[in-house]
Amino acid sequence: MDMNEIKEIFFQECEEQLAELESGLLKLNDGDRDPETVNAVFRAVHSIKGGAGAFGLDDLVAFAHVFETTLDCVRSGKLEPGQDVLKVMLKSADVLADLVSSSRDGGSVDESRTRGLVKELEALAHGELPSASGHDAPKPAAKPAAAAAPAPKAETPKPTDDSGFQPIPFTFDGFGQEEEPVIEGSTYEVVFKPRRELYSKGNEAALLLRDLSRVGEMSIACDTDALPDLDKMDPEESYFSWKISVKTTKSEDDIRIVFEFAEWDCDLEVKFADEASSDEEQPMRPVPFDLSILDDAPSAEDDDKQAEHGADQTVAEAVSAAETATSVAKAAGAAARAAERKESAAAAAAAAQNNAAAAAASAGQTIRVDLDRVDRLINLVGELVINQAMLSQSVIENDATGTSSINMGLEELQQLTREIQDSVMAIRAQPVKPVFQRMSRIVREVADMVGKQIRLVTEGENTEVDKTVIDKLAEPLTHMIRNAVDHGIESPEKREAAGKNPEGTIKLTAKHRSGRILIELQDDGAGINRERVRQKAIDNDIIAADANLSDDEIDNLIFMAGFSTADKISDISGRGVGMDVVKRSIQALGGRISISSRPGFGSTFTMSLPLTLAVLDGMVVTVAGQTLVVPLTAIVETLQPEASAIHSFGASQRLISIRNSFCPLVDVGRVLNYRSTQANPVEGVALLVESEGGGQRALMVDAIQGQRQVVIKSLEANYTHVPGIAAATILGDGRVALILDVDAVVAASRGQSLRPEMSLAATG
Amino acid sequence: MAAKKAGPENLKLAAVLDLNEASVLHGKLISMRGSDVVLDASDVDRVGVQCAQVLVAGARAWKEDKKSFVVEKASDAFEKTMQLIGINIDNLVAKEI
Repeated sequence: MDMNEIKEIFFQECEEQLAELESGLLKLNDGDRDPETVNAVFRAVHSIKGGAGAFGLDDLVAFAHVFETTLDCVRSGKLEPGQDVLKVMLKSADVLADLVSSSRDGGSVDESRTRGLVKELEALAHGELPSASGHDAPKPAAKPAAAAAPAPKAETPKPTDDSGFQPIPFTFDGFGQEEEPVIEGSTYEVVFKPRRELYSKGNEAALLLRDLSRVGEMSIACDTDALPDLDKMDPEESYFSWKISVKTTKSEDDIRIVFEFAEWDCDLEVKFADEASSDEEQPMRPVPFDLSILDDAPSAEDDDKQAEHGADQTVAEAVSAAETATSVAKAAGAAARAAERKESAAAAAAAAQNNAAAAAASAGQTIRVDLDRVDRLINLVGELVINQAMLSQSVIENDATGTSSINMGLEELQQLTREIQDSVMAIRAQPVKPVFQRMSRIVREVADMVGKQIRLVTEGENTEVDKTVIDKLAEPLTHMIRNAVDHGIESPEKREAAGKNPEGTIKLTAKHRSGRILIELQDDGAGINRERVRQKAIDNDIIAADANLSDDEIDNLIFMAGFSTADKISDISGRGVGMDVVKRSIQALGGRISISSRPGFGSTFTMSLPLTLAVLDGMVVTVAGQTLVVPLTAIVETLQPEASAIHSFGASQRLISIRNSFCPLVDVGRVLNYRSTQANPVEGVALLVESEGGGQRALMVDAIQGQRQVVIKSLEANYTHVPGIAAATILGDGRVALILDVDAVVAASRGQSLRPEMSLAATG
Repeated sequence: MAAKKAGPENLKLAAVLDLNEASVLHGKLISMRGSDVVLDASDVDRVGVQCAQVLVAGARAWKEDKKSFVVEKASDAFEKTMQLIGINIDNLVAKEI
């Protein structure tokens, strides 16, 4: 595995850690004070820092360190994670994400923002609350102490020269000093009890102790009391623990840093000697430690053995090697060897981190698979489905009598292909969580920009949907969220005046409903100002001045091209390209979007999307001699109209009466221009479909051929977009059949009042 | 495993006494229980804590059995690591009681 691959794994893990970080912070923001949540957040930043250190991503390390320091204050209870604190933390998480992506893909980050946040984080670590002026903080001496602190320790990562990002020297030192002033020869008592996992993850307590001995003068007492009899012991268990006294000029942080990668797999206490229990209580007298042992410590031993036992190399060693590689190289005068070692150390660090991450996610074993491979598999299964349909068809054609064994075999094959297809699709199914999490950042940033207070509540983040859908969902959702923040939610003053909570709420939910995923975006803002929307639509020549529209229809006007009610064009939204673009993206996904709004109470956008873009269950129908596929999810019922149920309405419209209600009849062949005259409904079949606005329409087709699972082939990719047609498929006889875009056809049928964006009449 | 009373058994410790070696060493010691043992640590380059645990448990077991458990020719690395992790090597280079 080369370095780039390892680095790629590191970045993939960063993504996971960042997601973990954000969801943890959001939990804290919602009042969760579970120490495990704080730990998870800390761990996420810590892991990113550790990995970044191994790869020499100095900017990332420097920022992560400052962030981690502040998080540590929260973890140790020195800093209460109030709203103000979490606001800074959430912003820092965003910056950390930016730094990760700029480290991965190049590009730059907003340096002033980064610097500003570093200052804010440091202030928090020094006990200054963001709202405070800075001097009424509990420890006024904090700042001068930090300023007067001696030079930061040698391991402080130096920023790369070209980045311009100036990390502030480790605040931890200053922080530690303020509480526990480090004077010449301070003594710390360290209690270190490794757990079994420490060893099983490839760490080695002896190496940690060796590193600890480098921090200062060390005396050690090994507690062997827990060791059982030889025949009862498990040789891989951890029994020994240590009480160590370290006399050093360095800070507590320097001691903790030795254990930083083993921290989760051991019990560690580091105390200033004065508070520690006296030596007399220890079961063994400390053995004076001879520092000369370091001269030929294992890391400096022959490289062959290192390579041979690379797997044993501990993370601590790896990281310390990586950090000190430069100085080691100079001292030894063997730059090449050190560089080599640095590389192998970094590799080991990443690998060990990988293991740790794998262990953490032990709930279910997973593997990473390149998406291309899955896509190829899905394509192949698609071909298999088509092939199987072709085979069935040719057997039927060539063997009219239908030998039962062949038919049974074919049926089994059909079931198997279906199962294979379902399983393959499940591989690509992903929870919508990552997209939802991205939205919370957008809400934060946009709300900040427009000076509103908004809380994003998400529900059903674990709802799974095909990855291709997820990827394409982010953009329209971003648009909508921005709109909701900018236009939907009122300013805090207005909200208060209306007797509402000054903090607005945007609720984002996902759920499965009848084979589709339903995503709802609900805000508790002012709702749609129908009068204004209507007026704007008339002004923009979207509707006729005398058009009679239902509330629902007025609400849906906002999806029309070129529609914007924003009085002024802002950075965030209001260019009038928002909602029609959203609608188009959703439609391109085979989805529908609708809005319902209650003036004064807010609006709800509902998006219904297919779970996958690869296959669909369809009803194969004949229209004017052509074979079409109608998505089964759209069909409510099918019926054979009777002459008495058909009623004319206006010049060309017809209605069908179904169980005492009237439903507009849409002649699909006419709408798609397959024929110029209306077909006789009595000779055909009506498919009752649910349309976007909620109403039902009866689509008239000539005959139903059957019901079949079809593989979706994009028309846009292979030909060009055809209005009224969603995609195409290949049937069993090898012919191409078009998949109907039910909503577009319905929209075209009521074109008189709404002037649909797709002019179907233009296509032939 | 028949108890062998003939004379001290010799056990040459592996160069790398790591996690993997701990089980091996544990098995070897169990099979030598009842005999005097001389451990040759001259080739040892690296000692992990888990092997040290096995050795300490072994020394105790031998002490209980009133048999000798002696580490001979301890390499520098062996001695220093033991010292580093706070194990008094004199306890291992046990005097027979």
